Amino acid sequence: MSIPASFWFELTLALPLVGALAVACVQPATVAARWALGFLLATLASALLVAGSFDGARLAGPPGFAVDALAAPLLPAFALLHLITLLGTAKSRVSSRFCARLLLAAFIHAAALTCDHAGGLVGLLLLGALLPLWDLGDRARPLRGYVLHMILFAGLLVAGWRALEAGDTARGLGWLLLALLVRGGIVPLHGWVPRLFQGAAFGTAMVFVLPVVEGIVAVRLLLPVAPVWMLDWAAVACLVTAVYGGAMAVVQDEVRKFYAHLCLSQTSLLLFALMLHTANSLTAALCLWISMPLALAGLAFAVRALEARFGALSLREHHGYYEQVPGLAICFLVAGLASVGFPGTIGFVPMELLISGSVEHGLGVSFTLAVAAMLNGIAILRAYFALFTGKRPTTSVSLQATAGERAGIVLIVVLVFLGGWFSPGVVASRHHTAEKLLERKANGPAGAPHR
Amino acid sequence: MTPALEQTLSVLGLLIVAAPVLLLAVFLGAFLLNRRPGEELVGRLIQGTIAFSLLAAVGAAGTMLWHRVAQHSIELGDWVITPHYHLKFEFILDLLSLSYVTLTLVLCAVIGAFSTRYLHRERGYHRFFVLFAVFLLGMVTASLSDTVETLFAGWELVGLSSVLLIAFFQERPAPPRNGLRVWVVYRLCDVALLLAAILMHELNGAGDFDHLVGKHAWPAHDPVLIGPHFTLLGVLFIIAAAGKSALIPFSGWLPRAMEGPTPSSAVFYGALSVHLGAFLLLRVSPVLDSSPWLSLCLVLLGAATAAFAYLAGRVQSDIKSALAFASLTQVGLIIAEIGLGFRYLALLHLLGHACLRTLQFLRAPSLLHDHHQLENAIGSRPREELPGWEHRLPANAQRWLYRFALERGYFDSLLDRCVARPFVRGFRALDAAEDRWARWLDGEPAPAAGRREP
Repeated sequence: MSIPASFWFELTLALPLVGALAVACVQPATVAARWALGFLLATLASALLVAGSFDGARLAGPPGFAVDALAAPLLPAFALLHLITLLGTAKSRVSSRFCARLLLAAFIHAAALTCDHAGGLVGLLLLGALLPLWDLGDRARPLRGYVLHMILFAGLLVAGWRALEAGDTARGLGWLLLALLVRGGIVPLHGWVPRLFQGAAFGTAMVFVLPVVEGIVAVRLLLPVAPVWMLDWAAVACLVTAVYGGAMAVVQDEVRKFYAHLCLSQTSLLLFALMLHTANSLTAALCLWISMPLALAGLAFAVRALEARFGALSLREHHGYYEQVPGLAICFLVAGLASVGFPGTIGFVPMELLISGSVEHGLGVSFTLAVAAMLNGIAILRAYFALFTGKRPTTSVSLQATAGERAGIVLIVVLVFLGGWFSPGVVASRHHTAEKLLERKANGPAGAPHR
Repeated sequence: MTPALEQTLSVLGLLIVAAPVLLLAVFLGAFLLNRRPGEELVGRLIQGTIAFSLLAAVGAAGTMLWHRVAQHSIELGDWVITPHYHLKFEFILDLLSLSYVTLTLVLCAVIGAFSTRYLHRERGYHRFFVLFAVFLLGMVTASLSDTVETLFAGWELVGLSSVLLIAFFQERPAPPRNGLRVWVVYRLCDVALLLAAILMHELNGAGDFDHLVGKHAWPAHDPVLIGPHFTLLGVLFIIAAAGKSALIPFSGWLPRAMEGPTPSSAVFYGALSVHLGAFLLLRVSPVLDSSPWLSLCLVLLGAATAAFAYLAGRVQSDIKSALAFASLTQVGLIIAEIGLGFRYLALLHLLGHACLRTLQFLRAPSLLHDHHQLENAIGSRPREELPGWEHRLPANAQRWLYRFALERGYFDSLLDRCVARPFVRGFRALDAAEDRWARWLDGEPAPAAGRREP
């Protein structure tokens, strides 16, 4: 007798939630981190089993949750993202609360991905926005800017959802779209993203931004019914943000702000691809949704390991860390280049697909995308040179990568290259999903999920 | 062609690429297992890989000559295929690709052997050879490419490895700074290549070169391609080539690239990398024939680059920069030859020049030593013969020309003033405004100290 896939799905949802509750009560922090690692590994294993056993038919789980073609490959990707985040957290910076927040974020993301009820999805997104608030409060950092943005997001999201429920589709879609743009940090509503990275724990900020959960709302609620002109305007805003974020990343003097702007640029590219709503762009978006968070998590892994050793990092001078931590230098470079679609890496095919697919909307759009990718590439190498070249600092203790960091580096490098190798299979499956999403759009409101 | 012959050629072609891929896999495996191979092993791996690839390339060339086969395509299948898009990796064996790949392998073998001794006990020995292996794979991939995507992949690998090797002596501030500068130029011009790839897909539904130029063996091609799209495609290829080959106005990066160790300067900027733009233009030469304006533009660009590089080379005070500009002069002439339609001449010129320049670069350090010995022996500096024509110019013109050459045509400062500085200043101002806004929202006071000027 084989174990049904729905059991693994239930585990994928339950493990991080139970883990969050358990870890919150565990002391000291190192033990809590070990527990969290165990829960996240188990979550990843069950998510992989769900994705592996997914045969294209909707897989129902607990009431209100189901795995579909969109969610199946994203479940393990998100679990992996949280695992890499934990692996990249230095022992000196880990705490029970941080582990609990991370596991809670893992639960919220998995639940939002598989929630088949619009109200539930809205509730999960609002719940997710509270986690960075908790972190900022814990660290006694200024949080008014973040709160104001999130109140705007919550207000627009709830108003949009209620309007859709009431049948006022045009207004509801408008509010929803605006809510997504606020949550996605689209220019000029992006000010909270760099501040969050500067104020909150790096891990908390990255798991809040990298999964692009607003994309789930876009796919589930917006794309099936939104008029083309509305999506086109949103796409333009996302494209502007992609270029703006890339350009800002090039001129940053602080690593965290550099990373925040890089995230802005990359997540906007994903949202842009979603908003274009063509078969090619949707395929690219669904592939980017897997590759981009993992690549950027790899980049963050290296940055956080450096921060744990040397404190806040500036990009104004050359630090010369290569000689002391060559593994982190390689991790930084490989993951960074993967995030901008360097050939042979996990990001190459999605980026190619996106830039080539956008030509349907004019060569100017492709050009702008290529410029955004170019700026991101320049920003990454500039940061690499600033961090890893220069006169090496003299230290009295060894700063070599620890065993856990070494495992993380190996995991990231293998992921980046194996992901590049297996891209064709992923693209084929994502294309099938994109076609289904477009079919739903063609069917109009009938194709939208339950409200 | 018989199926057995086709299969033989395909296997030989794949072996040329497989050896550098395996070499990189070995280096990656060693990194993942936290092992550091010894210098001798690294040297042997490099030599063995290049020898293996070279044997396969010579074998393929010999077989094709013997059986009078002009070209052979090696399809690796569709990498990504959707109804709206497909990404294909394909190699071609023909006169152009085999000539360039053989040149690559011969020069890499020479440089590899030289470097194992030259960099003996150097701290970055392993780093050098890993980057050298990436470069080798990039060059081989680009040389044999039959689709624009394959070419792009190789092109990018060459660019990245070149930049990281420029920054090889990373403890000094200048090499990374110059490496970044070269990376910016490369990325700018890569945008043009990427757009060219997209346009090729739009025009032909695929990125295959044979869809563009027909099934004939290089340099023959189908009747001329005419239309504004092909002209645009040609312009994009020229921009991409201009960046990679340091043509005007991107010439400023070439002397900066000399910060790297001598072997990498020799193989990249003296011989192979700097000719990759010319190679691209040779590969897509039918597109250049689509408009006389494109050809004219290429001739003018090549001639202007050659003239500029000649002048700039005359006033260089270090041997590597002088050699770099001498290389650029020849590259300019090769580009002009391509524009004039002399494809075989351009190929021969390229092959000959690459070999000669590699020799000169490798001889440079010991030549300086010999020169110092000579000076010590005769007790003074040897007299230099000055060419006559400069002295026939009016004094003002001489001064202007000298200044122009010394400032390297003002191209660097022009790009700085018109592109880099406005960009950095503009976005730093935006960043400061954004920061003020975010602080105001957070209720934080503005920082007392002002920002540093870019």
